[in-house]
Amino acid sequence: MSRTAVYLDFAATTPIDPRVADAMQSCLAPGGTFANPASIHIAGRESAAAVEKARQHLADLFGADPRCLIWTSGATESDNLAIMGAASFRAHRGKHLITMPTEHKAVTDTFAHLEKSGYEVTWLEPDAEGLVAIDELESHFRDDTQLVSIMHVNNETGVIQDIQRIGEICRARDILFHTDAAQSAGKLPLDLGELPIDLLSLTAHKFYGPQGIGALYIADRPGCRVLPIMHGGGQERRLRPGSLPVHQIVGAGTAAEIARHEMSNDLAHAATLRDRLWQGIETVPDISRNGNAEHAYAGILNVSVQGVEGESLMLGLEPVCAASGSACNSTSGESSYVLRSLGRDDALAQSAIRFSFGRTTTKDEIDVAIERYHWAVDHLRSIAPSDRLVS
Amino acid sequence: MNTPTAYNEAVRRHFADPQHTGDLQEDYEQTLVADVSESLSGAHIVMSAGIRGGTIARMAYRVRGCPHLIAALELVCTTLQGQPLARLENFDSADITQELSIPAEKTGRILLLEDALATLWAQYASTED
Repeated sequence: MSRTAVYLDFAATTPIDPRVADAMQSCLAPGGTFANPASIHIAGRESAAAVEKARQHLADLFGADPRCLIWTSGATESDNLAIMGAASFRAHRGKHLITMPTEHKAVTDTFAHLEKSGYEVTWLEPDAEGLVAIDELESHFRDDTQLVSIMHVNNETGVIQDIQRIGEICRARDILFHTDAAQSAGKLPLDLGELPIDLLSLTAHKFYGPQGIGALYIADRPGCRVLPIMHGGGQERRLRPGSLPVHQIVGAGTAAEIARHEMSNDLAHAATLRDRLWQGIETVPDISRNGNAEHAYAGILNVSVQGVEGESLMLGLEPVCAASGSACNSTSGESSYVLRSLGRDDALAQSAIRFSFGRTTTKDEIDVAIERYHWAVDHLRSIAPSDRLVS
Repeated sequence: MNTPTAYNEAVRRHFADPQHTGDLQEDYEQTLVADVSESLSGAHIVMSAGIRGGTIARMAYRVRGCPHLIAALELVCTTLQGQPLARLENFDSADITQELSIPAEKTGRILLLEDALATLWAQYASTED
């Protein structure tokens, strides 16, 4: 990354914590813990021990039984395994599933695939602030409903869903509840010993671990199982075949251990930065926050502004690295489907910028973002046609 | 959320310091104005051409659009100023596309620019009829 870059895209991925890198290096260095953990020789057993230690660290982060955690390549694979695996396991009971259009593509595309395969999917619309209405969710329950998948923290808006309540009403009807916790794992408290969650997806690179490693939590209770979607080995309870990447797993475990100890400090830091950023830009005319501001993860601030095109806004923001709601590379030219689900029109969705920050973000970096945002909006409005909105 | 495409130096220069934005202030023999937009991407162009002695004396534009479109408008204005009016007809944006390294998925935005020029020409032609 350029030295001048101001990285405010932690929701996309976080930098690896140096302590995580050190732990991974201990595996990768000569004489390190590199052997296949499935091997029964001494080196293999050392690797297996490292894998199980990391699994325990991850379980400790969530108050979970480590035997309930399956290593995967990340949240996308976890989502696929959870949704397709649970739907398959429960197919003999019924084929009705429920999710939301504001989920990550890893979820929506998987449900769309199941729809084409004979399942019936109810797409539950959020309110204008991105929250699901619990009573409306309940009204869609049917005798053949087998799975509900609703994310914990939305990756674009940071909106937090009430997964406690959702889990309760699902469990009361013996409906499996899956949540994509890619944006909350390691960042918000999640006690799987208490929360009525059956399936939970996570990835390490969102909480200062390495990319390419994640996990799926599968609750140990009757009727809660998934069928494998890949075949070829007996690893991970035969649910996720393939040789385990020891160095990545050790990195994920170390990141989880660090997160468990530093989560409250990280959260307070993020809240301070978010408030500083919003206070610095809320004076921009016609700016608005996307998503419910009260029920939101502090590490994400998503804003739209009228009369400004998103891709140009992104270039004007440089050297700030944030995420845009415009589909700059897309041939469709479509704006964020999440923001349009919240009722934003194309122009507002196009102008959206998601700022996300974390452990290493400084107040000075936030101040750069404030200064660049003002400059970019002023610059682009100065060259825009006088009627800002195009119908 | 999505990641923006890379921009070459020409795009960055024109984006940061455009020279032809605004409205035409002087009196010309004829002032042509085109207003074109495309709702899906939100792009909107208002382009003006001041005509004097059968020549494009001055061009200006206002735009809401991506950096490539802003840079393309700058290049078009620079290219056409001082040129005979007939250059507006069937303007070929291939050179601009190449100079700015405009990716294929942005073709629609450039076509919008060509629409603006075609509108200017049509406006001129209608007054000559």
